Amino acid sequence: MKSDAVLRIDNLGHDYGKFKVIENISLSIGAGKLSALIGPNGAGKTTFYNAISGKFPPTRGRVFLADEDVTGLPSHRIVDKGMCRSFQITNIFTHLTVQENVAIPLIIQQKKHFKMFGNAFKNGEMIHKVRQVLEQVGLADRGEQVVANLAYGDKRLVEMAIVLARVPRVILLDEPTAGMNPEETENMIRLIKKLASVSGTTFFITEHDMKVVFSLAEKIYVLHQGHLLAEGTPEEIRSNTEVQEAYLGRKVHA
Amino acid sequence: MALRAHLNIAGPAVLVLVLMIAPLLVPTYWVMILSEILILGLMAVSFNLLLGYSGLLSFGQGAFFGIGAYSAALMLQAGYTNLFLILLVGMLLALIIAAVVGFFSVKLDEIFFAMITLGFGMLLFSIAHNWRDVTRGSDGLPVFVLPTLNFFGAEVSFYSPIHMYYLVFSVVLVAIVLLWLIVHSPFGLVLRATRENKQRVSFVGGKVNLLRIVAFTISGTFTGLAGVLFCLFNSMATPEFMHWSFSAKPVIMSIIGGTGVFLGPLFGAAIFFFLEQIIIRFTENWMLFLGVVLVLIVIYFPQGVLGTLKSKLLKGEPK
Repeated sequence: MKSDAVLRIDNLGHDYGKFKVIENISLSIGAGKLSALIGPNGAGKTTFYNAISGKFPPTRGRVFLADEDVTGLPSHRIVDKGMCRSFQITNIFTHLTVQENVAIPLIIQQKKHFKMFGNAFKNGEMIHKVRQVLEQVGLADRGEQVVANLAYGDKRLVEMAIVLARVPRVILLDEPTAGMNPEETENMIRLIKKLASVSGTTFFITEHDMKVVFSLAEKIYVLHQGHLLAEGTPEEIRSNTEVQEAYLGRKVHA
Repeated sequence: MALRAHLNIAGPAVLVLVLMIAPLLVPTYWVMILSEILILGLMAVSFNLLLGYSGLLSFGQGAFFGIGAYSAALMLQAGYTNLFLILLVGMLLALIIAAVVGFFSVKLDEIFFAMITLGFGMLLFSIAHNWRDVTRGSDGLPVFVLPTLNFFGAEVSFYSPIHMYYLVFSVVLVAIVLLWLIVHSPFGLVLRATRENKQRVSFVGGKVNLLRIVAFTISGTFTGLAGVLFCLFNSMATPEFMHWSFSAKPVIMSIIGGTGVFLGPLFGAAIFFFLEQIIIRFTENWMLFLGVVLVLIVIYFPQGVLGTLKSKLLKGEPK
């Protein structure tokens, strides 16, 4: 089946022991779209992300990146196929400088990570590329700082820069504004919007912050107790009674 | 910036100069101690490629040291006296065994990695200890004939401690320069990234296990080289090199000197031997006092002696 979806999930399911955490998830995301996966805590958002990004293989179902089956591949292969992700808990190289954090994915992308001689930063092209990525996220003046000394919001931006450096076709962001203050959240929303509008990259984010989701996503998927409860535009989701019930914690009538 | 740059160039230059003229200034006994410091220092610096740069605590490094030493002793006994051949074969054997041990060990982390490398080390120790036909067991393998070197037409032997010192110094210098290049290469940077966060490396496309196997193999190869040198210096290969207590030496040296500074472990080796020499004049129980000093260093020099001094000196300097 040929489709113009850049990311397609078929009947995905994952079990922890006998417990089905997620079940029967199928969705299809078109190129350049900004979609969001929402759901109350414990709905299975992170499990879903881990299963499609190579943290562990899903128990059931298939994952396609532009029609290529990538189900169950290890994370580094999935990155090579063009999908790169961030984590809910900031996942960066804390004791390295900002520019080193960005250089690492670039070195790996250029297959130079087994190059034993020469310095990564003696290479004009590398310096230029690192700078480009840092300018995208607004950290160009922090390049030489050690990441550990940055403010929390800036650390989240470093992770964004690490992901962007690989120039993926699909970017998965797991709660990109988690733990941020309102100003940092604002800043991150603006950044994601800008990146999505200029790069043609497909974004798929998870969020529990409704404000963030409704101000960003063109399409929203709602996950509830491991099942896809609804999908649609922000307006459709906002007016969906089932979704409202799920979030208010009442029993959903089938 | 200026101070850091000056220190990074002047420090090593002064060190090389001092080590070059030292044999002319100190008594022969101390020339031999200096040789020992350089050999064990090389072992510690290559060990630190794992502890300091990859975040892996190997407790089986003695095995590769022993492989280098036995390889040299066996070759010399069999009548091979070409210096470069002996150095190369020792490194090659250590490389092969390190690649195998690394293959099985790098999937583990922290204490589990320490235990599996310790296990492999003790396995190789047992072979050296019990395969009496080849290794002569706990008696060790003595070396009676040292290799010679054709130095611009002149035949140089290494029976005098001064000649031996300059051989050790030259080989260790080349090895340390190579290790420095590796640590500062793109590979070295990605390796430090795996120490910081191996999950993130894997999620930007890096093959963490392969990176670690390569690091482990390089570390084992240079440790094997140190073993070859020690066998020549010591005229003997014994199974004790491969015992886990010998594997603890580079660990202690690296922690004394500082795992976060490239030359930290070499300084640690120097401090280790100087302390031994000083304390042993007063008491046989020098390990007791080493313990006390180790405790003080861990408390007052959290980044190791060289590491802490360097960061105090460069306080306020941008990185």
